[in-house]
Amino acid sequence: MSDTPTEWAIDVQNVKKTYRGGTKALRGVDLRVAKGEVFGLLGPNGSGKSTLVKIMMTVIRRSAGKGSVLGEPIAHKPTLRKIGYLPEHHRFPGYLKGKQVLEYVGGLQGMDRTTKKKRAAELLDAVKMTDWAKTPVKRYSKGMRQRLGIAQALINDPDLVMLDEPTDGVDPVGRRDIRDLCKRMVDEGRTVFLNSHLLSELEMVCSRVAIMVQGEVRSQGTINELVQGQERYEIVIAADPARAAEFLLSALPPGAERPEGAGRGTLPSGEWVEISGTTLKIGSTQPETIAPVLDNLRRGGVLIHTVRPMRPSLEDLFMQAVTDPTTGEALMPGAAGKKKKRTKAPRAGGDA
Amino acid sequence: MIAVTQTWTLLVDAYRELNARKLFWITLFLSGLLVIVFALLGITDQGVTFGPFTMPLPLSLGFFGGEENGERNFYALMFSNFGVNIWLTWIAAILALISTAGIVPDLIQGGAIDTVLSKPIGRVRLLLTKYFLGLLFVTLQVSVFTFGCFFVFGFRANVWEPQLLLAIPIVVTFFSYLYGVCALLGLLTRSTIASLLVTLLFWFVLFLVNSADVILLQFRTQSELTEQRLVERIERIESNTERGIIGRVRREQGDEAADAYEVSDQELLETNPFLVRSREDLESTRADLYDPWGLVFWSDSITTLKTVLPKTTETTALLERTLVDLNELDFGDLPEDDNALPSDEVEGVSISAREVNIATEEALRDRSTWWIVGTSLLFEAAVLGLGCLIFWRRDF
Repeated sequence: MSDTPTEWAIDVQNVKKTYRGGTKALRGVDLRVAKGEVFGLLGPNGSGKSTLVKIMMTVIRRSAGKGSVLGEPIAHKPTLRKIGYLPEHHRFPGYLKGKQVLEYVGGLQGMDRTTKKKRAAELLDAVKMTDWAKTPVKRYSKGMRQRLGIAQALINDPDLVMLDEPTDGVDPVGRRDIRDLCKRMVDEGRTVFLNSHLLSELEMVCSRVAIMVQGEVRSQGTINELVQGQERYEIVIAADPARAAEFLLSALPPGAERPEGAGRGTLPSGEWVEISGTTLKIGSTQPETIAPVLDNLRRGGVLIHTVRPMRPSLEDLFMQAVTDPTTGEALMPGAAGKKKKRTKAPRAGGDA
Repeated sequence: MIAVTQTWTLLVDAYRELNARKLFWITLFLSGLLVIVFALLGITDQGVTFGPFTMPLPLSLGFFGGEENGERNFYALMFSNFGVNIWLTWIAAILALISTAGIVPDLIQGGAIDTVLSKPIGRVRLLLTKYFLGLLFVTLQVSVFTFGCFFVFGFRANVWEPQLLLAIPIVVTFFSYLYGVCALLGLLTRSTIASLLVTLLFWFVLFLVNSADVILLQFRTQSELTEQRLVERIERIESNTERGIIGRVRREQGDEAADAYEVSDQELLETNPFLVRSREDLESTRADLYDPWGLVFWSDSITTLKTVLPKTTETTALLERTLVDLNELDFGDLPEDDNALPSDEVEGVSISAREVNIATEEALRDRSTWWIVGTSLLFEAAVLGLGCLIFWRRDF
């Protein structure tokens, strides 16, 4: 993947947003999404995820920074014809029927009558809503509205699909359908940008993710890239917890820098080690690294309960990103800008 | 092409929205009912008829201009006064406001606006399209009612009056002033109820300003008529007194002396104390009119204020102005109602309420259509411009 802008579906640099009153929703976001991938943006409530999406969809104006979507500058209206968007907490007029919603959105996208009718029928089928096509939206359940929302995001056969909390209110079967739909979209050559709290969902479908905290992207990349350096082995011994540390420390090979308290030490081969209760964590994925430790434990007569290779989940990465390294506590929700006065930010979107 | 598709989509959506609102159909039904009532009303030499019945009202064909134009004027006045001034510009307008007040707040509702703004449509075009589609509501209502009345007019009075159809643009223009304010308030408050109530309040303020204008104009007209009468009376008194003095000189000193005699003002005043009184009255009337805080000042001030505000009442009155010629109406059939206004502080000057009303009506009709509609549309354009600016800049 080169850095040529046309190869990026989304490329934003130093995008900032300060609302009237001084609330800083975005404090300089740099983000790149490659064409044809499923990209997941995650972050706690109020971290600025939806604000970023809304800026790209021209619903909100950025205060600073630049960027491009599908190779054109942000807010280039004709480019919006190539983008499908499912807003968080979307709402369609209650007097419209399911099929009419799709035709309405298709009309706003400038699609001709025949194409939008054909496409609406296909999409209703794809989201399993054909039987409800002629029912007014006001009678839909939350899950049905969400399915319809996804269908309307695809009505214009978009190159880029932005889905803000697509599985919100959807049952497990529906979630699986949406995941399958995302995979199908990528197979069809589309780029999918997912904004979600559901980390397990993202982990299953996203090729790359970014974690956003307090209006900034803390980390981004493939999950492999993000977990790099954090994979480890964990050795759990069956011992009195009061004496476990003593047994574990004695098992470290000569020349190792011993960890103190909750801190980390280092093996002679350079890998980090950490002791937590009856568990010894070693920052390595190579079995030969832990073999001398296991030998020492056996020699010392210590009963080994478990030996397992550990790979951090997306949730671990997320929790790590949203935890204050100095206090060990979760960072305050919101994108910073601590003003006493409540500012007039947009409506109560989870992340705006 | 894409703009046409988008506009058509918004039009279809507006139709569906109106179709979903029961009030739209109720108002349309009531409009039809009123047309039927109009069709049943008639005018004869005996009075006003309703179907086969004659109503005991002090109105007859003679009042409305006699055989030639009576029926035409009757229907024109009925259409203008009841159909337009009461039904279309009050009751139906309020119902239309209730029905359309939600269009802008619904558009900018959280979750709904995101879907629309993320489409390739400019914000200003979106807002203006929504605004003009809202006007479609009142256009449909007025058209149904006006065409109904047009046919009643044709079949009942045998007069096919295309000018009647002017009601459509006039009433839509009037409604557009209020709807512009309602749309702006909807944008600012995001609340249908708040925008509706404040619009109705604004309308009430316009009504008060207009009432103040008409009342002040009546007083001013009355004072101006009084001034005119006093001037005429003073001239008459002066002339009569002068003749009396010269007659006396002629009797006492002969023709030659009388012909050469010049009557001084002082002599006139000493001879006729009533002239003194009349001049004092004239002075007082002029003071009331032209003093720095006099009637002319207040009347002109309120007219200036009205210049920058939408003129709802006067806009709808344009229809009456077009349809009914004051000269064709025989006000003689109306009961005389002299001294109804407090002008008669001036002794001997009698100005009837009817006279004042006609003069006031003439003064109102002298106001140009440009001043009435043009300045109102400028106000509306300013309101819409502000709305577009807010909508264009706002983050949702």
